[in-house]
Amino acid sequence: MNDNIIFIILACALGNYLLRVVPFFIPGGDNLPPFVKRFLDFMPIAALGALILPGIVTSFPQNPAAGIAGVAAAAVTAWFTGGLMMPVIASISVTWFILQFF
Amino acid sequence: MNITAEKRPAADALEGVKQGIPIFIGYFTTSIAFGLLALSAGLTPFQAVLFSMTNLTGAAQFMAINLMAAGALAGEIVTSVMLLNMRYIIMSASLLNKIGFKTKSDRFIIAFGVTDEVFSVASMKPGGAGRYFMFGLQGISWLGWASGTAAGVTLGAFLSRSLQDAMSGALFALFAALLVPEIKKGVKALIIALAAGGVNTLLYYKYSLSAGWSIVIAMLSVTALATLLFKDENNESDDDLIIPAGEVQ
Repeated sequence: MNDNIIFIILACALGNYLLRVVPFFIPGGDNLPPFVKRFLDFMPIAALGALILPGIVTSFPQNPAAGIAGVAAAAVTAWFTGGLMMPVIASISVTWFILQFF
Repeated sequence: MNITAEKRPAADALEGVKQGIPIFIGYFTTSIAFGLLALSAGLTPFQAVLFSMTNLTGAAQFMAINLMAAGALAGEIVTSVMLLNMRYIIMSASLLNKIGFKTKSDRFIIAFGVTDEVFSVASMKPGGAGRYFMFGLQGISWLGWASGTAAGVTLGAFLSRSLQDAMSGALFALFAALLVPEIKKGVKALIIALAAGGVNTLLYYKYSLSAGWSIVIAMLSVTALATLLFKDENNESDDDLIIPAGEVQ
């Protein structure tokens, strides 16, 4: 299992590196058609949506409300403060509270 | 284009480091969260730090540990990470004409450190970015990301069990925090995210696909559909990064 994780990490590193290095050797690659740019802009947004659902519901099988309330707290905090650390702290606090007392 | 990189290596590198300090701070704090969450996803401290040192990428690393915890296969994880990071192709392609490469090995070295934030700083630099400027900028950015993870796994060793349990949901909090700024820019992002989440839920429960492949299919299908439906995006936020970059030439 541990070897497998190291393998995955290095395979991801290679994949990410290829995405970054190949365009450095292909001149004219910055003239991509608009629909390709749109596609690449939308991809991370779709990814985040698919990462949140349904994972948020299944992450606390005994108490799904804890996960959902935590993400809601993060979203509200992110809306008003921006950044990543404060939303994560808010979420952990809310989830911890619900797991402890409900 | 007139790039003056070779003349003052030390000064250029220092200038890169200076402009990279805000990136360092942002990366360091986010990467603390990565270190903590990697532990709760089941990675060892060594694996977590290795991940940050070798990949230097944001959301994709969080996605990968999420999929690892779900027991996804290597192929599923690498595919979804590369899909999420396909935007690096555009960034590198755009940087090609803005960086003063001297040797072939410059390209191999500088490619490793292309990130969203490095891209925008390098693109905005008047007159283009020299190689030493890039070394300084990317070096300090890498240091922030790698050392943040190291700090996170160290911190994780001192956390109580109940707090660690609560942290397994924090990954989703992080995804939400990354998504909210996109939604603030327009309702399109909310529609795309909800659609992708819906498709993923359907594939996972109704068709019993594995977590990794259902995410890959949800990402691809919803992104393709959105590309067809949401045309004429002159004021797309990410394009704003790319348009001024083109004006540097």
